[in-house]
Amino acid sequence: MKTLIVGIGNSILTDDGVGLGIAGEIRKRCLPDVDVMEVSLSGIRLLDYIAGYDKLVIIDSIQTEGGIPGTLHELGLGDLGSPGDPSCSHGAGLVTAIELGKSLGYEIPEEIDVYAVEVKDNTTFHEGCGPELEAMIPELTERIAGDISEQRMTV
Amino acid sequence: MAKRITIDPITRLEGHGKIEIFLDDKGDVSKAYFQVPELRGFEKFSEGRMAEEMARITPKICGVCPTAHHMASGKALDDLFKVAPPPAARKIRELINSAFMAEDHTLHFFFLGGPDFIVGPQAPAADRNILGVIRKVGLDAAKQVIDIRKKLRNVITKQGGRVIHPVCNLPGGVSRGVTKEDRQEYIQTGKDAVEFAGFALKAFEDVVLKNKEYVDVIVGDIYKHETYYMGLVDENNKVNFYDGDIRVVDPEGREFVKFKAQDYLDHIEEHVEPWSYIKFPYLKAVGWKGFVDGKGSGVYRVAPLARLNASDGMATPLAQAECEKMYDVLGGKPVHNTLAYHWARLIELLYAAERFLELAQDEEILDPNVRTIPTAVPDEGIGVVEAPRGTLYHHYKTNGKGIITEVNLLVATLNNSAAICMSIERAAKALIKGGNVSDGLLNMVEMAFRAYDPCLACATHSLPGQMPLEVNIRDPEGDVVETLRRG
Repeated sequence: MKTLIVGIGNSILTDDGVGLGIAGEIRKRCLPDVDVMEVSLSGIRLLDYIAGYDKLVIIDSIQTEGGIPGTLHELGLGDLGSPGDPSCSHGAGLVTAIELGKSLGYEIPEEIDVYAVEVKDNTTFHEGCGPELEAMIPELTERIAGDISEQRMTV
Repeated sequence: MAKRITIDPITRLEGHGKIEIFLDDKGDVSKAYFQVPELRGFEKFSEGRMAEEMARITPKICGVCPTAHHMASGKALDDLFKVAPPPAARKIRELINSAFMAEDHTLHFFFLGGPDFIVGPQAPAADRNILGVIRKVGLDAAKQVIDIRKKLRNVITKQGGRVIHPVCNLPGGVSRGVTKEDRQEYIQTGKDAVEFAGFALKAFEDVVLKNKEYVDVIVGDIYKHETYYMGLVDENNKVNFYDGDIRVVDPEGREFVKFKAQDYLDHIEEHVEPWSYIKFPYLKAVGWKGFVDGKGSGVYRVAPLARLNASDGMATPLAQAECEKMYDVLGGKPVHNTLAYHWARLIELLYAAERFLELAQDEEILDPNVRTIPTAVPDEGIGVVEAPRGTLYHHYKTNGKGIITEVNLLVATLNNSAAICMSIERAAKALIKGGNVSDGLLNMVEMAFRAYDPCLACATHSLPGQMPLEVNIRDPEGDVVETLRRG
């Protein structure tokens, strides 16, 4: 089973880059049959890269009302809204991208997991995460990489 | 009872804007606001860095238009280091920028703005997207869209040196020339892009222009503002995306001013409002008179329609013919109808494709001399290009050793910020009456800002924290009395 891990974020907007940080750490582990990408793309722009994999793991940041920074939300594609969401001005969300890929006959991953890390500050220009999130990257990496390895064992 | 309606498209993975509409006691619109979150500290972030780093940092501001930032930055660095790139380098930059414009305009028309027309302004929300477009124009068309974008992106990646954020621009030129093999490939890509642009315009004609209902929406008063227009033009006053002077025409289409990038601060000032983090640029010589149109108001517009209005046409033959056709159909120059931005965008797609092909076919692009090494003492630099969403200014000051002391970026969409607010309010006032707020009507309000293809604070990629589009209806105390969710 071939897995693609995509860390999404902006590396110069403080905690926004947390997904990139975690993906970078997972890359260092050289997991077999796992490719890792760190990108500042989303939605439809990801479509070119995800075809041909059996499994897709997305690691991104999130802000929920009253959320505690560092909390790891494990989401499915269904949590990201319906493909018809018209409010995406540039996003044309991932769900739409997946649907589009399918209708174009792309080999779209059967399994898609989304990990979203609750962040504190994603609006200040700064290289790397703030201290709070930065300190949690090893633990978050451990959990996500652990999940991936575990699932691979059970397949 | 006064009500407040909030359209908050928080579902977007990048960018995050909010429309707030306040209703009066009768349920009519009293005021509408367009708001975006503030990104803080770019100036401080840049201070103390080497100037040449700016060409690699600024593309990261935005996940949508990194190439445009890279180009504006490259030109600002030429100015700052007082060095002119050799002809081949200049052409390579314009080639990359043309590929980017064509790619980005394609994405907007088919994926983002186009669904409003191709699928229909009042169509169910679930259909107003690329999937709905495919159902209407066919799967083959979608494959063409994906295919041409891939080819154009391939040029940007190859010449730009990296997949997403190009790194090729250096003070005085570019890091890589064009090989003979690559050139052959680019020529083919150019031909394909010209053909594709023709196909896109044909689709627009068949689906939109032949539908009286849509044409009525385009030319109607709801989406119309008589403003000044700004865009970059070449020595013949033709549209140019990479170089030239900045030309401004008045609401009657007469040249108001033409200036060099270096003089932009003499002509543009920014107005501040307490309710918005973004500033509202206006023409200094006319002055800020509020969010109003007309010759007496300094509000100006940028991006596709504005560029066409501000020029004497297109420098390539097929795009020029399409441009003439648009002005014929819409009643002459300038066109003030905001929804005509979509049409102008497709004409620009054709121009970008034709220009790309011209540059690829130019023998000089193979010249290995692609860099002039700077020797002067660096000081201050200003660079301007046309980004898909409008005129983009980069301005850097250094300490004489090339270390950044001050940065000012006037990003493309910001130029349109006052006009976007005006367009939303006008549409909201015309469409929402007696408290009747349907999904279709809200979409028609959103169309007023989608035409500009706005890109504000688009560097934030965080996942949606809540449900998709949320509409909050609030009582005068600000308490939510009803929440509508859609999407």
